[in-house]
Amino acid sequence: MRRTLVVVCLILTAAGCARKGELTILAGGTPRETAYWEKVLERFEDSTGIEVGLIRSATHTEQKKQAVLVALRGRKSDPDVMLMDVAWIGQMAHSGWLEPLGPHGVDPAPFYGRVIDLADMHDGTLVGLPVYVDGGLLYYRSDLLAAHGYDSPPRTWNELRETAIAIQEARREENPDFWGFVWQGAQYEGLVCNALEFFVSAGGGIVDSAGRPVLDSEENKRALRWMVDLIHRDKLSPPNTYTDMREEEVRMVFQSGNALFERNWPYAWASHQEPDSPVKGKVGMAPLPHFEGGRSASTLGGWHVIVSAFSDRTADAVDLVNFITSYEVQKDFALDLGWNPGRRDVYEDEELLEKNRALATLRDVFDNAVPRPPVPYYSQISNVLQERLNAALAGREKPGDALREAQNEVEEIVRRYEHTP
Amino acid sequence: MSTRRSTAVDFRRREARTAWLFLGPVLLVVGLFVLLPVLGTLHNSLFRDISFMPRTFIGFGNYAEIVSQPRFLTAVRFTLLFTVTAVALETLLGMSFALVLNEAFPGRGALRTIMLIPWAIPTIVSAKTWKLIFDYTYGVLNYLVVTFGLSADKVNWLGSAPSAFAAIVVAEVWKTTPFMVIILLAGLQAVPRELHNQARVDGAGIGRRFFAVTLPIIRPVVIIALIFRTIDSLRIFDLIYVLTGGGPGGSTASLSILGFRYFTDDRFGMGSAVSVITFLVAFGVSLVYLKVGRFRESMG
Repeated sequence: MRRTLVVVCLILTAAGCARKGELTILAGGTPRETAYWEKVLERFEDSTGIEVGLIRSATHTEQKKQAVLVALRGRKSDPDVMLMDVAWIGQMAHSGWLEPLGPHGVDPAPFYGRVIDLADMHDGTLVGLPVYVDGGLLYYRSDLLAAHGYDSPPRTWNELRETAIAIQEARREENPDFWGFVWQGAQYEGLVCNALEFFVSAGGGIVDSAGRPVLDSEENKRALRWMVDLIHRDKLSPPNTYTDMREEEVRMVFQSGNALFERNWPYAWASHQEPDSPVKGKVGMAPLPHFEGGRSASTLGGWHVIVSAFSDRTADAVDLVNFITSYEVQKDFALDLGWNPGRRDVYEDEELLEKNRALATLRDVFDNAVPRPPVPYYSQISNVLQERLNAALAGREKPGDALREAQNEVEEIVRRYEHTP
Repeated sequence: MSTRRSTAVDFRRREARTAWLFLGPVLLVVGLFVLLPVLGTLHNSLFRDISFMPRTFIGFGNYAEIVSQPRFLTAVRFTLLFTVTAVALETLLGMSFALVLNEAFPGRGALRTIMLIPWAIPTIVSAKTWKLIFDYTYGVLNYLVVTFGLSADKVNWLGSAPSAFAAIVVAEVWKTTPFMVIILLAGLQAVPRELHNQARVDGAGIGRRFFAVTLPIIRPVVIIALIFRTIDSLRIFDLIYVLTGGGPGGSTASLSILGFRYFTDDRFGMGSAVSVITFLVAFGVSLVYLKVGRFRESMG
C-alpha cells in the first residue's frame, strides 16, 4: 500500500514539474546533491542557452528505480535524461528504453574503459556514460597495524584473518566492543555486492560468461563458508552482521574506532577524515584481499547518465549528457562532492591528486571491478541471493544447501525468462 | 383512498430518491477507492507481468507458483502465528486495563489519556524506537541484560527466528493494546450498574459477574475489536519492515512483506496475487468472526 502511494506521488511530481516539451533531467536526491545539480544545470543553461528542468529524485535507491521505471514503462517524453544505478542499465537497455549514444557522436574514449565495456555497452552500442564510479574496497587502521608490527595491509583473506585475530584479541582488553572485520551482511543488495567480491576472489561467481548461473560451485561454497566462519567460528565480525550491517552501520562501527578492517565503498573515506572523526589520519585504503590463488575483486557500483529513447528533445539531451560528463564538470564533482569521476583522464589531474591522494588507490581498485550480472532479470536473482545468503550467514542453512537452493531458484528464473516469447 | 395511496407511493419514492442522494457520494468513494483497486489487483494477478518482459495472460499461474513455494508456507505460518499471539495478548491486556480504567479512582482521566500515547505515535516512529531498544551494539535491552548479569554476552535479539518473532510481537502489542482498551472501555460503560448490583445481591462473585453479566453485554464490541485487530495483524508490514525486513533468512516475512518483495522484484503479477490472497484470508476471517458473534448473540 505504502509503495503504491510513493509511486503515485512520483508520477504526480514528475508530471507536475515538467512543462510540455521542456528538456528535463531526473537527478539529485539528498538536499546537498540536489543543490549541486541545480548549480550544474544553471551552468549548462548559461553556456548553451538551453533551458533545463530538474526533476528531483528520491533519496532511496528503490524509490529512484520506481521513478525511472514508471517514466520508461509509460513511454513518457519526460524526463529526457536520467541518472541510473549501474545495475539497472542492462535491464533498461534490453527493453529498448535507452537511446543509443554512439550515433550521436558521443565518445567513450576518455572514460574508464573497463567500466564502459562492463556496464554501458549493449549489443555493441554505447547507451550510457558513468557520472561517477564506485567499487568495494578495504579500509584498515594503519596505526594499529603499525603498532602490532605489520607494515602493509593483508593481501589474502588468510592474512586478514590472522592479523585480525591477533589484533582483536589484544584490543579487546581495553575495548570489549572491538571487532576484527566489519562488512555488509544484512538482507539487502549490499550483501550481494559483498558476496560477489568473496566469490570472485575465490575463483567463483554468480553467472559465467554466457550468463548461466554457476552458484553451487566449490569456489563459492568455500567463500560463503569463510563468510559464515567470520561471524560464527572466528568471531571476527559482530553477530549482528547479518541483521543490521549495511553501509552506514559498518562505517559507524569503524569510524568510532571499534574495528580493524572495514569493507565499504569509497564514500566512507571522506567521513573517516572529518575533523571530529576518532579515526582521522589513522585510516588506510587498499584493494580487497583474495583467496590463495585468486585475484582481488571489487563490485562495480556507481551512477550513470542515459538518454530516454522516448525523449522529444534528443539532440539537446545528448548535449546535456556531454556537458555533465565533460572534464570540468567531472573534476568539480570530485572536488565539491567527493565523487569518483567516471572519466579516467580526470584522475591524472594534478590539482585533484594534490587534494585527494586517495584517488590513486581508487584507480587500482576500479581496475579490479566486477559487474553484477547485466541480465534483465537481475533484481529477481538478487532477491533470491539476498534471502539464501542471509539464511546461511544467520546459521539457518548450511552454505552448500543455501547455494544449491539459490542455484535451483535462479535456474528457474532464467528458464521462465527464456521460455517467454 | 387512491389519492392517499398514491401520496404514500410518492412519499416512498421521494424518500428513496433522498436515500440514494445521500448514499451516492459514499458509494462513489467506496467504488472508486476500494472496489476498483481490488478488482484491478485481481485482474493484474492473472498476468505474468514482469518489468522487462512482455505481459501475458496466464490465468491462475501466479497462484499455482506461489502456493508451491516453501517461502509462501513460511509466510502463512508466520502471519497466522503472529496474528493469534498478538491479538490474544492485546485482548487480554486490553481487557484488564479497560476493567481497571472503568472503575472510579483519582487520576483516571489522566491515565486514560496517557494510555493512548503508544497508539498515537506513527508505527514507523515507534518501530524505529523499538529497533534501537533491540539494537545489538547500542540497545538499552542489551545494556540491561549485561548490567544485571542475565547473560555474559550481548544477545542478537533480531538475529534468531524465535527472538525476532518475540521482539515483533512485543512491539506490536505495546502499540495496539491502547486501541483495545479504548474500544472495550466504550463497551464497558454501556453495562448498566444495576445489573451488577443485582448480581451482587444474588451472591455472584467478581469472576461470575464478569462472565455472566459484563461479557455477554459487551460481546458485540469485543467482536468488532477482534475483527479490526485481526485484519490489521494479518496485513502486518511496517513494523516488520523496520525491525527485521523479514529476516533473518526470511523467517519473519509476513504475507505483506512477501508481496512487497515480489513488487520490488519487478514481478507485479506475483505481487498482486499475494495481495489477493492476503485480502481473501482477512475477508474470510472477518466473516467467521461475524458469524460466530451473531450466533452467540441469538443464543444469549
